[in-house]
Amino acid sequence: MKHDDNLKTLNVIARAPFNVYYQGDAQAVTATNKVGEFDILPGHADFFSILDPGEVVITTKSEPIVFDINNGILTARDNEVMLFVNM
Amino acid sequence: MRRASAIEKESVQIGTIEDLTGVFESIASTQVAKVRNKVELSKEFFELLWRRYRSIRVDPKTRITNRSDDKKQKQAFIIISAEAGLSGDIDKRLIESMLKNYDKATIDIIVLGTHGATQLTQLGISFVRYFQVPETDSYIDVSPVIEALEPYSKVIVYYGEYVSLGVQDVKSIDLVSSMRDMSHEDEIDEDTMTAEDTIFEPSLDEIAEQMEKTMMTLALSQTILESSLAQAASRFNSMAVAKKRAGELLADYRLEFHRAKRSESDRQLREVMISIKKKKARARGLAR
Repeated sequence: MKHDDNLKTLNVIARAPFNVYYQGDAQAVTATNKVGEFDILPGHADFFSILDPGEVVITTKSEPIVFDINNGILTARDNEVMLFVNM
Repeated sequence: MRRASAIEKESVQIGTIEDLTGVFESIASTQVAKVRNKVELSKEFFELLWRRYRSIRVDPKTRITNRSDDKKQKQAFIIISAEAGLSGDIDKRLIESMLKNYDKATIDIIVLGTHGATQLTQLGISFVRYFQVPETDSYIDVSPVIEALEPYSKVIVYYGEYVSLGVQDVKSIDLVSSMRDMSHEDEIDEDTMTAEDTIFEPSLDEIAEQMEKTMMTLALSQTILESSLAQAASRFNSMAVAKKRAGELLADYRLEFHRAKRSESDRQLREVMISIKKKKARARGLAR
């Protein structure tokens, strides 16, 4: 049961060198890369991507976190999503 | 002895200087706290990125830079100095330290910051490139500097290191080696992410290249931040010394002012007494 609960959330860290945009649980992360817009949901396969400039949306239980990026790298692994942006 | 009114006028000016240095001192102190916070955030960011870079298991020794170790190729010395003149003595020490290892034939100097460029010009030492210190308030764009470093086999960065509010040291690092050194860590804290079990968009090579470029940029940005921290601390010290000196001067002026005032009132009293004596003598003469 606990395992299933874990699958329902992502642990997200979104930061720029001097700024922490978000750190905590989330339901989904939406961003854009060369292929197009994509969503990371709980249980997503391990994923590494260079992000295109645009909007990133982190869907949380409360308000969604939305911010613009100039560049970035996203990694997703075992429901842990790291976003390194505006570098 | 000078007149009390003249001393009073000068002491008002010294009081203004004392107030001004006090303001600069508190600005420098606020700046130190602000930059320290940024240094910490930037370090955390680098560590997280490095953790992920390690997980893709490219060989950092060959990948981290494509620089050759060709001894015939020139080296670059980068000096990170202050943009303005109010930076204490740290830039002077920085240049002195760099000049100990400088060889005009094999080394090109690249300067960041107007203060360093001015000091080098005054010393008659030429530099090949000059950049303004990139903005540290929100975002550090060091990409023009990274581009300028492309032709060099070795890049040594000289910058002020913040040890404490009272102590700032001159530090030099080999930018490329310091990046390579980071790959000497033996511990493996992340499972490997390979193309077999991970989706890479675009390719693994392109991602590794992007991460390396970012880490190189971050390493240089970090030295700029450290340098800015040391400059702020050095400025704080200079202002604290200037404020103390102005306070001492003000105390001397106050003492001199009171002496002059006392002397003036003594003189006036003496004149009154002499005048009374003269009047009394005159009155006695008339009575006879």
